[in-house]
Amino acid sequence: MTDSPARTPQSGQTGIQEKKPLLTARTKSKIVDFLFVVPALALLALFTYYPVAKLVQISFTDWNLLSPTWDWVGPKNWIWLFTGSGAKYLWNSLKITFLYSLGEIFATLVGGMILALIFSRMTRGFSAMRAILFVPKYVAMSSCAVVFMWILNTDYGVLNYFLSLAGAAPVDWLGQKSTALISVLMTTCWRVLGYGMMIYLSAMIGISPQYYEAAALDGATRTQQFFSITLPLLSPTTLFLLVTTFLSSMKVFQSVDILTEGGPSRSTEVFVYLIYRYAMVDFRMDRAATSAVMFFVILLAITVATMKYSNNSVNYDS
Amino acid sequence: MKKTISLLLALVMALSLCACGNSTGGQTSQPPAQSNAPADPGAYEVTEPITITWWHALEDQYSADVERIVKGFNDSQDLITVEAQYIGAYKDVNEALVSAHAAGSGLPAVCVANTDYVAQYGANGVFENLDAYISGTGYDVTDFSTGLLLSSQYEGKQVAMPFLHSTQVIYYNKTMADEKGITIPEKIEDFEAFLKAGAEACGGYGTMIPGWDQWYFETLYLNEGVKIITDDNTCDLNSEAALKMTNQFHDWYEAGLIAWPFGPDASSGMRQTFYEGKTFSVMHTSSLYNNYVDNCDFEVGMAWYPAASTGDKYSEVGGCVLGIPAKNDQATKNAAWQFLQYLVGKEVNMDWAKVTGYIPTRNSVLTTDEGVKFLEEKPAFKCVFDNLNLINPRIQNAAWSELATTWKNYMDNMMNQGGDISSESEAMVEEIDEILADRG
Repeated sequence: MTDSPARTPQSGQTGIQEKKPLLTARTKSKIVDFLFVVPALALLALFTYYPVAKLVQISFTDWNLLSPTWDWVGPKNWIWLFTGSGAKYLWNSLKITFLYSLGEIFATLVGGMILALIFSRMTRGFSAMRAILFVPKYVAMSSCAVVFMWILNTDYGVLNYFLSLAGAAPVDWLGQKSTALISVLMTTCWRVLGYGMMIYLSAMIGISPQYYEAAALDGATRTQQFFSITLPLLSPTTLFLLVTTFLSSMKVFQSVDILTEGGPSRSTEVFVYLIYRYAMVDFRMDRAATSAVMFFVILLAITVATMKYSNNSVNYDS
Repeated sequence: MKKTISLLLALVMALSLCACGNSTGGQTSQPPAQSNAPADPGAYEVTEPITITWWHALEDQYSADVERIVKGFNDSQDLITVEAQYIGAYKDVNEALVSAHAAGSGLPAVCVANTDYVAQYGANGVFENLDAYISGTGYDVTDFSTGLLLSSQYEGKQVAMPFLHSTQVIYYNKTMADEKGITIPEKIEDFEAFLKAGAEACGGYGTMIPGWDQWYFETLYLNEGVKIITDDNTCDLNSEAALKMTNQFHDWYEAGLIAWPFGPDASSGMRQTFYEGKTFSVMHTSSLYNNYVDNCDFEVGMAWYPAASTGDKYSEVGGCVLGIPAKNDQATKNAAWQFLQYLVGKEVNMDWAKVTGYIPTRNSVLTTDEGVKFLEEKPAFKCVFDNLNLINPRIQNAAWSELATTWKNYMDNMMNQGGDISSESEAMVEEIDEILADRG
């Protein structure tokens, strides 16, 4: 009898055992899939997550942007943001930013929808009018703001000239707290109305005419058709416009910088302008970073909430 | 898969945070790097051909003069080629410079900076300390006006050189003043009568006080004995003297005697109002003299601010200095130093003074035929020449930019938006004290 290696009961029963692969085909496939997204993830990490992480770090320092050195200051900037003078400006700019955002969303959604309904006829004349309305979207905001600065000038502006023809007193559009934000919004509306219109128009074309024919056979009026067919079937487009307009409007900067520089008396100091002021005017990079992180958190929370809400209430059946 | 990605991203973020902890500068309290300039005079020589850039804020109307002056330097030697770049207003130059400094690349060899920024740039090592260059190359700085030289220093270090300087003055409609017999008051007590006469004569404002930049009105507070930043590092803009001044401005504003322009378009708006004769006078910078003269169809007079009740009638220096960004390599700095000496030289300085409204920076000009000739060409500048020794350097404090933003915003609220002087002043001082305690 020769000694042979002891066999496990299982191997004795099954004969030659098939070696279990280290990675299953499913895992291999997952790894391959993952490798494909690694370059994109690396770029995302480098250009998005790293700056965010860096901002978080700066918010715990006293860095002034100019100096090569800085000290850790712990939560000092965060305490300032919530309890010091930072709180006043944080809430003020949040309020202004949301008001501005509401205005831009209203103009894009409601104004765009109305224009889309008005200019929905597919004739050559209407095509030309649609193009005229859409062109401002592609005018650089800096040029647009400079033109509006002239339009809104108290003494020499076109708007006050027309008001004077109607016997109205000149309005200091950009110099008064009560009118400054509205003036910035006027500039924005001029740019976004045509864009909202075009997006809605392209979505309207995608709605099957059979719905309207059926509704007409049932005796539905044009108004009923709009509220029962058009509006619900445009809800994905509305959501798209809502989210994109909200995000872009929260980042408004250039028009404010050129038209008002955040004034008068900080009445147009939107959040991004506030961050810019801390960093580039006051040389308070620490406070700018703290505010920027706060802004990031707020935007993230709102975006997540919007997406969650939209999953339950948007009709994708068109 | 989602978990894997999340973990990976979390890892990247954590790693980046760790990396941040050891990044540039780290958590040190060391003073910022100042001059690394070598002590050997030969080390400042330019030995190889080099092209350098100069960032300036001289608008389009001066582009031909900029081109001519830069060409003068380029033609004068073979090694250095200068390319001048207009960046924008001082604010834009600051943004571009600060960004390039933070990035450590794309810096100009020579850069202008508003006198407001000298302290920040000096304290944080943005500009090279020029002391070693001055002593190393034996450059004579004694001919510069002392006040202007001090304006280019930070804590005794020459971090920049005087370039295009101005001060606060009152421009007025001289034709109308002569016609109506209106004289510019020597004392602030007589200013109200002047405003009333001016407003009545032109049917508009007596004067316009620029609210967009506190530089134009801070000198009136300082002359009244307000320190703005006291010796114990607090703000006294709610002191009796300060409140008296603010209330005075407010009363004049309410009576329609003055306007308080504010905002990005305020400067051009104010100028336009003056050109059209809708205000009798404006308080502005002496550097815009040519601009006013060229655009008005009446004779433009220039006057010094009225003396305060204390008798003081100091003003503060404005305009810009020239500096060499410290993060440049030594070869660029050496070339920059050559060009900088040319730009601030007496001849080029007089050239600038003639084509703009900037004041000559050299003492020797004032007492020579050149000075006489300059005044013959621009007689309105006599008020500036007579008071040159009263032009003080700016207040230098690490928190000044922040303080200034706060102050002018509150002033706008009190003047243009109907804010209550007493409560707004208290709130403003509380906020400025917090700023000063934190960084001042």
